[in-house]
Amino acid sequence: MASVAEVKSAIDAAITQINESQAALRAAAEKLAEAQQSLAAALDGSGHEAVGAAQASLFQAATDLEECLAATVAAVEQAQSYAAML
Amino acid sequence: MSTIAKLGVRVRSAADALPLDTVTVAVERLRVASELLLAARQHAERPEAVPGVARALEHAEQAGHALRVARERLAAYLTAIGLGSSASPPTEPQPADRAPRVTPSEPPRPRSAAPTEEPDWWTARIAVLTDGPAPRRRADATGDTERLLRQVVAAVRGGDRDELRAALTGAPTPIGLRLTAVTREPLRRLAAEWLGHPPTAADLPRLARATEKRVRALLPGLPRPVLDTLLAWTCHVASEARPAHQPAHPADTPVAGAVLTGVLLRLLGRDPDALAEFMAPSSSSAGGDDTSSSVGKDASSSGGNASSSAGEEPASASAGGEHA
Repeated sequence: MASVAEVKSAIDAAITQINESQAALRAAAEKLAEAQQSLAAALDGSGHEAVGAAQASLFQAATDLEECLAATVAAVEQAQSYAAML
Repeated sequence: MSTIAKLGVRVRSAADALPLDTVTVAVERLRVASELLLAARQHAERPEAVPGVARALEHAEQAGHALRVARERLAAYLTAIGLGSSASPPTEPQPADRAPRVTPSEPPRPRSAAPTEEPDWWTARIAVLTDGPAPRRRADATGDTERLLRQVVAAVRGGDRDELRAALTGAPTPIGLRLTAVTREPLRRLAAEWLGHPPTAADLPRLARATEKRVRALLPGLPRPVLDTLLAWTCHVASEARPAHQPAHPADTPVAGAVLTGVLLRLLGRDPDALAEFMAPSSSSAGGDDTSSSVGKDASSSGGNASSSAGEEPASASAGGEHA
C-alpha cells in the first residue's frame, strides 16, 4: 500500500509535468500565431483549395491548443486542491 | 528571384516554423503526467478526486495532427504551383538532440476513439538509461523506496547493469520517483565521508572525476546535464538552468541519484547494508541540508580521518574503499 507521501509525490511530479506542458503549449501557440500571420500575408487572395485547407487546419490547431491549455489549468487546480488536503 | 520563387520561400519558411516539435514536447509531458496521476489514483483514498489529463492530451494530439495536415497541404500547394521539388517538409518532428526523450509520439487518435492504454514510460525510460530491453512490469509490483535504493546500491556494487535494470523496472513508478527525495541526505553524507569534509564547490571536479565513469558505465543513456546537476547539488553549487525546451525526463534524476549513491558507497568500500547509517537524519540537521554534524560521526565510526585528506586520496580509503 502506497503511503500518503508517495501519492503526494506522484501528484507533485504530475503537476510539474503539466506545468512544463503548459510552457510548451504557450510557446507553440505563439509560434503558430506568427506562422498564421506570415502565411496570411503571403497567400492573401489565393483561392487555391490546398491553401484554404491549410489555413483551416491551422485554425483548428490553434483552437485545440487553447482548449488543451484550459484543460491543463483545470487539472492543475484540482490536483493542487487534492494534494493540499492530503 | 522571381515573385513566385519568393512566394515559395515565404510559404516554405512558414511551414517549417510550425511548432510541431513544441507540441510533441507538450504531448510527452502530458503522457507522463497522465501516468503519474493514474498511479496516484490507484493508491488514493478518494480516487475520484485525483484529476486526469485525458482531455488535454487529446487536444494536444489533435493540435499536432492539425499542424501536420497543414504542413502537408502547404507542400501540396507548392507542388501545384510548380515549386514542389523541395516542398515536402518532414511531417514528423525530428529529435532535437541525441539525448533520449520520453516515449515517441503515437499517431493522433480520432476524437471519438476510446482511450488507449498508457505507455509504461518509467520502464521504457529505464531501458533507455541502462541501454537494455524493457521488460513488462508486473501489474501488482509493490515495494518501498528504501528497499529499492538498497537493491540499486547492491547492483551498483556488483557493477551489474542487468540487475540494476531489473530492480528499477520492478518498482512501481511512484516508488521510483521518490528516489530523488530519499537520496538527498545520503548523497551529501557519503560525499562528505569520501572527501573528509562537507562537499563544497571546490570539490566538484574531484567528485566528478571519481564518479562519472562509474555512473556512465551503469547508465550509458543518462543525459550528461542530469549527472552534472546532481553532482553540483551535492557540492552545494547552483547548476546552470536547463533550457526550458529540454527539461530532464522525470525518471532521470531519481535513477541517477540512486546510482550515484551506490557509486559513492562503493568508493568508500562500504557494504550496501551500511546505507542505513547515511540515511538516518542527524540530530542537529534533520530536514536540513547541513551535513557537517554527521560527517564527524560517520567518519569516526568508519575509522576515516575527516580532516586529513586534501588531495585525490579519499578520506576513508584506508577503511577499504577505492581510490579516486
